[in-house]
Amino acid sequence: MRSALTMLGIVIGVASVIIMMSLGRGAQNLIISRLQTMGANTIYVEPGSFDPKKGGGFATSVIEEMSIKTLTLRDLEDIRKEPLVEMAYPMVYGSGRAIYRNEDQKITFIGVTPEAYEIDNWHTYKGRDIDEEDVKSAAKVATLGYKIAQDLFGEEDPVGKTIRIKKADFRVVGVMEERGMKTFQNFDEYVYVPVTTAQRFLLGIDHLNAITIKAKSESAVNPLIEDIRLILRENHGIYNPEGDLSKDDFKVMSQVEAANMVKQVTGILTAFLSSIAAIALIVGGIGIMNIMLVSVTERTREIGLRKAVGARNKDILNQFLIESITITLLGGIIGFIGGISFSLTASIILTKLLNISWKFVIPFGAVVLGFGVATIVGLVFGIYPAKKAAKLSPIEALRHE
Amino acid sequence: MKMIELKNLTKEYCDDEVKTIALDGVSFNIREGEFLAITGPSGSGKSTLMHIMGFLDRPSAGIYKFKGQSIEDLDDDQLAYIRNEEMGFVFQFFNLLPRTSVFDNVKLPLIYTKISEEEKRERVLKAIESVGLIHRVKHYSNQLSGGEQQRVAIARAIVNNPAVIFADEPTGNLDSKSGQQIMEILQNLNDQGHTIILVTHEVYTAEMAKRLIRLKDGKVVSDEPIKDRKIAKNGLIK
Repeated sequence: MRSALTMLGIVIGVASVIIMMSLGRGAQNLIISRLQTMGANTIYVEPGSFDPKKGGGFATSVIEEMSIKTLTLRDLEDIRKEPLVEMAYPMVYGSGRAIYRNEDQKITFIGVTPEAYEIDNWHTYKGRDIDEEDVKSAAKVATLGYKIAQDLFGEEDPVGKTIRIKKADFRVVGVMEERGMKTFQNFDEYVYVPVTTAQRFLLGIDHLNAITIKAKSESAVNPLIEDIRLILRENHGIYNPEGDLSKDDFKVMSQVEAANMVKQVTGILTAFLSSIAAIALIVGGIGIMNIMLVSVTERTREIGLRKAVGARNKDILNQFLIESITITLLGGIIGFIGGISFSLTASIILTKLLNISWKFVIPFGAVVLGFGVATIVGLVFGIYPAKKAAKLSPIEALRHE
Repeated sequence: MKMIELKNLTKEYCDDEVKTIALDGVSFNIREGEFLAITGPSGSGKSTLMHIMGFLDRPSAGIYKFKGQSIEDLDDDQLAYIRNEEMGFVFQFFNLLPRTSVFDNVKLPLIYTKISEEEKRERVLKAIESVGLIHRVKHYSNQLSGGEQQRVAIARAIVNNPAVIFADEPTGNLDSKSGQQIMEILQNLNDQGHTIILVTHEVYTAEMAKRLIRLKDGKVVSDEPIKDRKIAKNGLIK
């Protein structure tokens, strides 16, 4: 009973390490696979800057990025003129409520140009896409995500109907294909409007939140990134001949770089969470040491007897070490099974209920942790009590009350 | 043949600057096949003497030779080996492992030897049979009566077929009938050739041995054969 409680410490420690590692790896795979579907030709431009001194991390925070207003439609036009660019689309976004009769839904609206449908390979299946005319005239038209269309209109056909977003009336011209939940954002809850309309009527701004560019070929990506940087520096009046990225007020990233950044961020997060879980493991180990010390005291007479009938110091040491390792190893196995089944359940729930294409992973490191660390904890925290037991003189041990 | 040789054996305990002399120059020999009782008032050093003879403790000074080997020349592991091979112990409070079967209790000394599992099993069953507890083999030690527990302890002491059996007040914690059974077993073992060293403060138990040594204040005050030896089987204990 007491051993079982002690074991619980190890069980929880190992299980939480494994859950953290498995879920962390799963999240990383999910985001990366999502980024990879965007295609290797894709380049992103966002406000902000890199700081190479921070290992390629961001120099500006999200809040700071929001206040940078230098990225504009003029930049987009200049980028589109580059010969290596196949197409590009701007992006502004915000959130609000969409109202149709009595229905009222929270939405994310995104201001785009027609190229967005092409580059993301995501089209309307009903009605039409937003076109060049809509952008030029800042028309109040919208294409709805699949889920928003369902929630607002139900069985009704939304095309041609009018919805209200932020006190402005929008005519629904199309409904997007179902895309599902990816990277923690449900695309089916997006509403696309022309970028000019969003700037003027919904946000009251004239800068952009991002530009997405598709290069003509994969080999064009890297030279194009450099070209875009030069264009933007000139447009933004940044004197930066040595190409110091921390001086820029924008970030240009290829899909590969973005994937690496995600890997880095989720990696740090996983390591951080795992180390918290590892503390639970150490606490469990101290529990083991405690229970072994109690056990040595309680079984002093037994130790004396064993010595009297011929056990050497080594035999006693081994007996107690094996005992503590058995407890931790058993705890490790139970924790491993528990952690894996929790992660598996989580992945099933995420896949089935939330429609996320989550892939269940058992990280190799977690397996090593489950068994290796548990054994080491048993050894490290068992060695002191075991040595104490082995050193007892047989006659003193036998006399012990 | 001399099995145990003691010469001027001394044992002192130093505790908080108070020096206690437990044994003060004890000298005698024990031959193979003897049945020796050591007796004396409490604090006379009889238990200490037995512990040293049983390699559970070391003397402070003097010579102790077991089968010609001096204790000084042996390290702790060698002492453990000799205890395992040559000695068996029976204690006043039985010292059985609780929640452990009779079989496993008796087997305990054999787990530190290298003989085959099959032979271990045979020896354990033989030892249990010789103390008349074969019907209790699978019982837990704490389900047995005191007398039965002490018989299990004797089985454990003889399972490795030792040259000498040390019995420290083996009847001290038992009723007279159970004590008599224990003494009967010890006498039988002596008849089979085992050397037996018995520590007791009861005169009638000591008189079932063949030789009696009296200790007082760590010194031997008398050492003589028992003339009118009592046989436990005859039911002389009252």
